[in-house]
Amino acid sequence: MRLVYDGQPIEFEGGDTVALAAIRNGQHPARGGTLCLAGDCGNCVATIDGTSWVRTCQTLALPGVIVARHPDGVNPTMLGPDTAADIDVRHLSVDVAVVGAGASGVAAAAEQRTAGHDVTVYDAGQGSEVVGTFAGPSLIVRTATGIDHVHAHSVVLATGAAELHPVCPGNMLRGIYTQGAADAIAAAGIDLGTTVTVSTDVARFEAAEDRPGAVAVVVLRDGTRHECDAVIVAAGSAPRDLLARMVPNVRVTIVGPAAAAHDLPPAPTGGVICPCSKTTVEDLQGVWDKGFNELELVKRASLCGTGTCQGSVCGPHLQAWVGERKGERPLPFTGRPAARQITLGEAAAGYHIDTFRRTPLHDEHIALGARLDKFGGWSRPWNYGDPVAEYWAVREGVSIGDVSTLGKMMVSGPDVVEALERIYPNHVHDIKVGRSRYVINLSERGHVLDDGMICREDETRFLLTFTSGGASVAEMWVRDWIETWGLKVHVLDRTVSHGAINVTGPLAGQLLQRLGVDAASMPKFLQHRHLDVAGIPCHVMRLSFTGESSFELHHQIHHSRELWQALLHEGRSLGIKPHGLQTLFGLRLEKGHVIVGQDTELDSTPRRINMDWAVKLDKPRFVGRDALIRTAPLPDERRLFGFTMDGPAPLEGSVIRPTTGPAAGEVVGHVTSSWDSPLFGHAVLLGWQKRLPHSDVVEIDGREARVSAVPFYDREGARARM
Amino acid sequence: MLACEVTFERLAGWRVIAEPSALDTVAWAPDATPVRISPDDAFVIGGPAPGLSDPHAIVTPEHGFVGAALTATELDHLATHHIEWSLPATWPALAQGQIAGVPAKLVLHADGSAQLLVATAAHHEMADRIGATPATGGTR
Ligand code: FES
Repeated sequence: MRLVYDGQPIEFEGGDTVALAAIRNGQHPARGGTLCLAGDCGNCVATIDGTSWVRTCQTLALPGVIVARHPDGVNPTMLGPDTAADIDVRHLSVDVAVVGAGASGVAAAAEQRTAGHDVTVYDAGQGSEVVGTFAGPSLIVRTATGIDHVHAHSVVLATGAAELHPVCPGNMLRGIYTQGAADAIAAAGIDLGTTVTVSTDVARFEAAEDRPGAVAVVVLRDGTRHECDAVIVAAGSAPRDLLARMVPNVRVTIVGPAAAAHDLPPAPTGGVICPCSKTTVEDLQGVWDKGFNELELVKRASLCGTGTCQGSVCGPHLQAWVGERKGERPLPFTGRPAARQITLGEAAAGYHIDTFRRTPLHDEHIALGARLDKFGGWSRPWNYGDPVAEYWAVREGVSIGDVSTLGKMMVSGPDVVEALERIYPNHVHDIKVGRSRYVINLSERGHVLDDGMICREDETRFLLTFTSGGASVAEMWVRDWIETWGLKVHVLDRTVSHGAINVTGPLAGQLLQRLGVDAASMPKFLQHRHLDVAGIPCHVMRLSFTGESSFELHHQIHHSRELWQALLHEGRSLGIKPHGLQTLFGLRLEKGHVIVGQDTELDSTPRRINMDWAVKLDKPRFVGRDALIRTAPLPDERRLFGFTMDGPAPLEGSVIRPTTGPAAGEVVGHVTSSWDSPLFGHAVLLGWQKRLPHSDVVEIDGREARVSAVPFYDREGARARM
Repeated sequence: MLACEVTFERLAGWRVIAEPSALDTVAWAPDATPVRISPDDAFVIGGPAPGLSDPHAIVTPEHGFVGAALTATELDHLATHHIEWSLPATWPALAQGQIAGVPAKLVLHADGSAQLLVATAAHHEMADRIGATPATGGTR
């Protein structure tokens, strides 16, 4: 049987590992270094069938397998050919997990069974390799079929001990084996030629001129020289306790040789201490001399112990080296998963990024050719191909936008007015039934958290809206306060059960009339009504984010597609076009509306974003009031400004520098929103100045920008009321 | 990944938010299946709008969920491959938590079968992750 090793077929025997196959053919499975053939070091890793960093001594040789040594001195890519979705993950619960099926593992399992426990044994040699332990305790186990996430009541680690490798000059030559490896090689019928067995008495290994890279001479500390074809190192062992060191202070018991006390080797004086990271003893001295004088610091600064074997080879030597300098034996360093190299796919399998929700109009957007993007946890249309055309449809005709992602919350109860008065900084009690009001939400520190609308349904019932990004925490926030105050209010977050379509533009009302809404019942600005639109029950809210006359049609999501299609169909002769977020953001910017989270910062107060008008300090109580009163007398350097400048609009995030005054040339803030206004023919922006005195003329993107009154568009607000 | 070959269907019903004592005493219609999400919150699958003694109760049509019926075998597969938390020990029960990283509810029946409930807006992602078929349609 043959496999392919660095492009050449080589023979192997049945039962060989890939490493044994290489040794059988006079090769080193990697490029050099002591071989343990027990899975403890990283000296045999290679790329097998496209997956790099595979321990060849733990991989059975199969006909046709393609083995490639890693490039000399260069790390290969960590990517394997698999992805997380290809890998089967199982979440399993077990009573007692015993890791290791050697003598101590067998004994531990028997003891646990006698005590009445269900025992599951994991062992790499039996196809279940534990690569990580976590608090819980839980284990990550690689199996032949995938990855198991094992939640155990208790864990017993019986992982045995690992043979020590030599650390001295020449220890990265080929032909150096631990005693266990030599035994395995002999058992496979491979002749290593003339061997010399050494312990911790080695001074250095040397190569011969006719066999570069391979050991030919061992020089002992007593100065004697021994010629050989191979060296066998019997230098003792150290506990294989990496899995235990990953989870200090949790229910993990360690037994057998893995728990045994052991002597450290002599402190090394030269050679490669960490073959994985190629860290030399001289490197250790270099970082020590820079002041990294603790074991964990030496590890981080030198990378000794951060490689494939996670310190299994270098750990005891590093302890000895640091201990010699500090005069006491240091504890071994913390273990980190993974104990064995796993692919990125295996590491990611079973873990998920946040869910991105779809609005009920998702398929409609795709059918219309929308370019979708992800905002506030939702997939949303960014544009439908021509954002400028979408813009003009809003400004001069009629357009529809999917605003189903808005937070929507129904609150009802005898204490609802009191609750909302305490939650919001604006007045609530005087909102008449059928009317609505713009509101902001503040934190206890007076910082703006979110904004939205309050719509009064009747004396004891309101609908609240929140931004798309704020919706996910709004329910928790409102419930927490209501429960804290002990008020009687029912709360229903109906964000995902109700869709919303914004019909906007000077012809928006006309379109609704065509769809069955009579002119007399059409809500006026800041009114809301329950009306049928195209025969579909809608809660129609008259407001404006775009600056134009706008009607938000809130409805049950099973009607969304029918309503959307009816609006598009009936609006054709009015030139209707749907608009995406790109256009919406530009429209609202011209109108000077901030987007909380984009134009605000975590500590933005209403004053800083010029929204004091939305705060009524004459109210006796609301969340954030105390903080606002406390900070009101203090001077505040920070302020959000509107700017105009010639196009093209600078990137959001561009720095703002005054051109005159004491802070001339210095960065005083950044652009939060920018847009090339088709209407004005120049760029309009929002951005921060955080240094007094605020400057009227600044430099952005190397060009001059001037502070401008906000809103930029329709300062009287006439168009929204048309 | 082994697929959980179930099909999601859109559900229609009612969402009822009311005093727990009022919810405790509702006479649900025979064709309604109430799922008590929390003491003050019920999702009622099917049936007419329920009447409640709480004058401030919120009773509203609910179309925000999809569901999938799971046999005991399918539930076991789902739990093994996609649920990191332990199911309740005694059934019938309602369990709520992330399944394949998506917030979901499991109505666990005494016979070992279950109904999986997911927000319509998120169920495509779950279907993709567990290998199920998403719900179709959406117009009335
Ligand atoms: S030789 Fe394979 S891990 Fe040491």
